[in-house]
Amino acid sequence: MKSLPMAQTMRQRNSNLQKPESMTFKSFIVALGLSFGIPWFLIILVPFGKMRNLEPVYFETENDGKDEIYVPRRSGLITTGSSVYGANGCYICHTQLIRAGYAGSELGRADWAGFQIKDENGVSVNTARETTPFDYGDEPFAHIGLMRIGPDLTNVAGRIEKYLKEPLTKAKSPESWLYLHLFNSSLKTKTLNNSFACPPQPHFFKERPLYGQGSPNAVPGLSQEGKEVLPTPEAKALVSYLLSLRKDDAVPYSLNYSRDKKKAD
Amino acid sequence: MTSESSTGTPDQNDLKLRASIDRSLRHPVMFFFASGAAWLAVAIILGFIASYKSHDSDFLSGIEFLNYGRAYPAHINLLFYGWGCQAAFGLIVWLLARLSRSECRSTGIILTAGHLWNFGIMAGTLSILAGRGSGKPLMEFPPAIWPVLLLSYVFITVWSFIQVRCSYGGKTYVGQWYLLAAVFWFPWVYLTGHLFVFVFNGHPVMAAGINAWYKYALILLFFTPVALGTAYYLVPKITGRPIYSYSLALYGFWALAVIGPWAGMQKLAGAPLPQFMPYVGATATTLILIPGIAVGVNLLMTLRGHQAHIVASPSLRFTIAGIVGFLLLGLTGMALNTPATLKMTQFALTGYGFEVLAVCGFFSMCAFGGIYFIVPRITRREWLSRRFIGWHFWLTTYGILTVVVCSIMGGLFQGAAQEAYRSSWSDAASLSYAYNVGTTVAWGLIALGSFFFLVHLLLMWARLGKRSQHPTLLDGGHHEESPHGPDHEAEELQPAEA
Repeated sequence: MKSLPMAQTMRQRNSNLQKPESMTFKSFIVALGLSFGIPWFLIILVPFGKMRNLEPVYFETENDGKDEIYVPRRSGLITTGSSVYGANGCYICHTQLIRAGYAGSELGRADWAGFQIKDENGVSVNTARETTPFDYGDEPFAHIGLMRIGPDLTNVAGRIEKYLKEPLTKAKSPESWLYLHLFNSSLKTKTLNNSFACPPQPHFFKERPLYGQGSPNAVPGLSQEGKEVLPTPEAKALVSYLLSLRKDDAVPYSLNYSRDKKKAD
Repeated sequence: MTSESSTGTPDQNDLKLRASIDRSLRHPVMFFFASGAAWLAVAIILGFIASYKSHDSDFLSGIEFLNYGRAYPAHINLLFYGWGCQAAFGLIVWLLARLSRSECRSTGIILTAGHLWNFGIMAGTLSILAGRGSGKPLMEFPPAIWPVLLLSYVFITVWSFIQVRCSYGGKTYVGQWYLLAAVFWFPWVYLTGHLFVFVFNGHPVMAAGINAWYKYALILLFFTPVALGTAYYLVPKITGRPIYSYSLALYGFWALAVIGPWAGMQKLAGAPLPQFMPYVGATATTLILIPGIAVGVNLLMTLRGHQAHIVASPSLRFTIAGIVGFLLLGLTGMALNTPATLKMTQFALTGYGFEVLAVCGFFSMCAFGGIYFIVPRITRREWLSRRFIGWHFWLTTYGILTVVVCSIMGGLFQGAAQEAYRSSWSDAASLSYAYNVGTTVAWGLIALGSFFFLVHLLLMWARLGKRSQHPTLLDGGHHEESPHGPDHEAEELQPAEA
């Protein structure tokens, strides 16, 4: 082959690359369309249509002790906050998904999927449950997340309430904990340990001179001599959205995949 | 050099035709390559900044526009749409015109659409940096941008599609199938992704699922066929040898077409959507190795015994690096998506490593190969500096390899620590530190390499290249026959025609 002159090689190449069978342009395009169209129909179109109108889930008398429709409890500036969350790239580092047990181990990590609490009889109960399709209610897009450089936020509002009880915290309310986190994540506690180094987002805040007693909206812990720091409307929406992320409402028995779930008496 | 140019008039006509195709496409193709290379440089700088911030959150912390959460999506979007798509457009337009042997008669429209595309990229990137991004991975440009990009796409590629349609029936080359498939699939993938996420009002989890599918579809059904089409054109062209096996080429092509569209939803394993979808996606991603091996074996066997060409030709060197990149993509796709590893890799740095491997390690390398081959033909000048090409090659290869290895290794450690749910979360957060530093250094190397590439390309565009009839070869020796194939004699015809 190597010793052939170039012209001869060219001719041979041309004949070799010709398609021997006669696949027409039309049949080639149809084949391309089918190889793409079948998966497109099966994993995009049909599931999209089915998920669009999910059947509502009911509490049932024999399992839950009551008979009513399940309405996910969620309040706050969710639509606006969700878009601020997206526009600032929170989803790159933070996930919002408690995977089912076969796919991951979030259910086991303390305080991520729920809490270890005591019920009315003093028995320790784990409320951890995986994400349901209703957990993203009111959001146009589920911020599943990309890389999980920071912790999962599915239950962040619940966790913050726990953090507020820590003696070293500087925050006074869940809102102020989040404002401190956004302004500079190393300011939240009195220690110098800043292992969760979320990038500082000072653009969420405005500094202005302090007049009189100051604004009730000023973030405690950030005010300095003669100055106070106010969150912007975007920061307020984001914080309101983040505080709506919690896993402590009762879901119907049929929707609860927790290992410790119990039927109502 | 050979007997072709002196004996037969058909060959003369053939060379004239090639020269006139090249002349007709000079402006649009150079425009796509040069603006793509410019966006690539911006993307790499943003990648460097984002990576630096991932291990030092105080780096440039005063500048709101360059926050990690904005620099990172801008970096990825520019890599895909600013560089990747535009390089692909240049390759598609030139290769399909050459393969269907017809001049391009719509350069004005293509150029206008190309400017529109760049305007869309510019507006989208500025919006992301200004905090107005949509927050949906790889669709971060605001919703007003995607119709503009789709429209310009149609006007850029529809002419190539018509060209192939009109000339079909004569000779059909392997490269043509791949390029035609890419042209055909892209609008379907792009429209599906954006319509189902932005326009149709569906379930938020399904929107996220389609978004995850879209990223893989773009990689496997657009970038992959463009890169493979280019490689299937260049390898036989430069070595002057037929493809090793026609049936293996056919098999590899349809394997990609059948497997590719299923991949992507493994990002949502364990999420509340029909359980089969993520696992079908994971399975399809592991199977990408099948077309990988088919293409790899076919092209590398074609090259067997042509070491001299590989050493000498910059195009071939980049193309081989790209083919190896495709094999590695298949291998990592397989390793990272088994039921055992998917748990660790679903939410870790590995995904980034996979994307960089696909777009930079595989697609870009093949695209560079094509650009080093095409640009001398359309500008009728030779590359100025062997050293620039060499530096570009080595800095890019080692840089990308480092980014990929660091992201995948760091991601695996990070993922394993995440799965160890009884240990402290901060283990997982801190484990990837060293790998992030490595990634930053590597982006620095890649930035340097792409600087040489950009400068070299712009000098060629300004027609400051060497007026030489000998191609720029990396080993500096003189060769009896041109490793770029006999059509380089088009140069000799030029004075007669002009």
